[in-house]
Amino acid sequence: MKNCFWTCVAACAAMLTAGCIKEEPKNNECDIVSAWVEGEEYAEFFFQPSQMRVENVPSNSNDIVFTVRTGSVLPPMAVWFELTPGATIEPASGSPQDFSQGAVEYTVRSEDGEWSRTYRVSFREAQSPSYTFSFEHVDSALNEGNNSYYNVFYEFDADGTRRDIWASGNPGVALINPAWHTWQFPTHSVDDGYQGRGVCLTTQSAGALGAMMGKPIAAGNLFIGAFNISAVLFDPLRATEFGTPIDREPVKVSGWYKYQPGAVFTDAQMNEVPGRTDVASIYAVFFRNEDAEGNSVVLDGENVWTSDLIVSKARVDTLPPTDHWTRFEMVFEGNNADPATLASLGYSMTLVFSSSKGGDLFEGAIGSSLHVDEVKVEYKEH
Amino acid sequence: MRKRAIAILLTAFCAVALPPHVHAKGLWDSIDVRIRMGYSIGGTVPLDMPTSIRSLDAFRPTPSPMAGADATVWVSPRLGFAAGLHIENKGMDAEVTVKSYRMEMRQGGSQMAGLFTGHVKQEVTQWMVTLPVQAIASLGKVLTLKAGPYFSFLISKGFSGIAFDGYLRQGNPTGPKITIGDEEGEWATYDFRDSMRSLQWGIAAGVDWCFSRHLGLSVDLGWGLSGVFQSDFETVEQTLYPIYGTLGLLYRF
Repeated sequence: MKNCFWTCVAACAAMLTAGCIKEEPKNNECDIVSAWVEGEEYAEFFFQPSQMRVENVPSNSNDIVFTVRTGSVLPPMAVWFELTPGATIEPASGSPQDFSQGAVEYTVRSEDGEWSRTYRVSFREAQSPSYTFSFEHVDSALNEGNNSYYNVFYEFDADGTRRDIWASGNPGVALINPAWHTWQFPTHSVDDGYQGRGVCLTTQSAGALGAMMGKPIAAGNLFIGAFNISAVLFDPLRATEFGTPIDREPVKVSGWYKYQPGAVFTDAQMNEVPGRTDVASIYAVFFRNEDAEGNSVVLDGENVWTSDLIVSKARVDTLPPTDHWTRFEMVFEGNNADPATLASLGYSMTLVFSSSKGGDLFEGAIGSSLHVDEVKVEYKEH
Repeated sequence: MRKRAIAILLTAFCAVALPPHVHAKGLWDSIDVRIRMGYSIGGTVPLDMPTSIRSLDAFRPTPSPMAGADATVWVSPRLGFAAGLHIENKGMDAEVTVKSYRMEMRQGGSQMAGLFTGHVKQEVTQWMVTLPVQAIASLGKVLTLKAGPYFSFLISKGFSGIAFDGYLRQGNPTGPKITIGDEEGEWATYDFRDSMRSLQWGIAAGVDWCFSRHLGLSVDLGWGLSGVFQSDFETVEQTLYPIYGTLGLLYRF
């Protein structure tokens, strides 16, 4: 009887409220979700069919880059887009545009007409980045949502094109920290590198909000790949998308480091683990970047060390604490690359640095600090 | 014993404020004391539903008891004035589907704000001491009508919830898009209790139905005219008003 009464009351309340529900507002988002080129006439410009699609464009990126064969002379290309429902794009999806002079700007407008985003779409010849990483090229990226600035490291191609191959967890940290400066972030540039500027990675507290969401610490990390901001809360291991296509087979990585572990090691619940000392992590993975179904692949925190697509991998066994720049070296172990696949950019490589080895699981010691500089990758002569 | 004490206290209070002819007639003849217990149900809601709220998926009454006493002074056979003191909760537990709904999480020095699309589960608790001041009209011996303002002082506040199964665009619709899951650690929680007002006021009206010499039932509606949040609190865009109905049992001395 009592339940029946409350059911009636709840039903009345629901009806009253339902009566007040207004017409659905028009969408205010204006993203390119994915972009692709289709048709036989275009296929010849690409090494693999998977390179004709750019899927899951990160929500915080305004650049869409297609990789084409070296020496391609491109006719006007028709690029198709999937947009936020209701949004419109100018120039139109599927309209041929001339990309031979560089990037073409597209403007996406939301269904409600209130918001717009401008994207730069380009077709670039396959180029591997330089093989020595000195970390001299640093930019400040703005997290527009809350006015925080964090460092972004980048490289240049042989032809002088900027390549944003380096990523870090900084965009995730920026989300919850309004008006931070670059030096406050776990991953930032320092002036006193081994030579010129270097990288400083520091394990930090993720603050009360991070702790509330079960992510009490943020390790400083830097890796070749992309940071998928969308997954940072929901599935953080998926946020780190490792690897960029490479046209050479790596055999050895060497560089310089300094390391000091933080005082108190804590687990993912922020409980102290007595007797455990934090360790840094430096490793590299070389892998096939297309699966059996022809989909392009990046590795993530779940499978970067275990995927069937891994060809060879390297890890620095120990990184003893030191206040002086100390040399490290690691050798790739595993299988050999197939030269034809290598020539068609069928392999990717990632290189990962972290101030706490367990940082992906939110284990580590606040204050652990890893400096890295002058990293050199050596390649097999084919 | 305690009820008696409250009755005496209220009587004493009224005695001071009474018009002279009432004194002449004798206190007990002109004062009507009623002790009440009741249960409230309602919502802390915007008067104009924002378009960002797409559907009400669940609504559960949370324990919202009320207890108190009123004293009525009759100035004529049919008209009187009443004042009282009630302790009550105005709670709510609701789940809604939202589209581009402005929200903010703040904990210590860290903060994340933006537009959320997905599901929100909302819990409101407002324990308060309420002072109603009402005009009373008697319709015979059985029915009395009541209406007038009330003032409430909050002694315990809660306005918290979780946002789950959706995504947040930080800052504005073009900001980073963060997927929010539906398990602990994947969802976002918020707590706005510190931004709630301590004083509320509104108007209330109701009916007492005395079915025997001492016992009766009552139905009351309290309509908040002050928002539940401080005026400088902007995260929840709409002003939320507590609107609650109370079913009660009364004892008349």
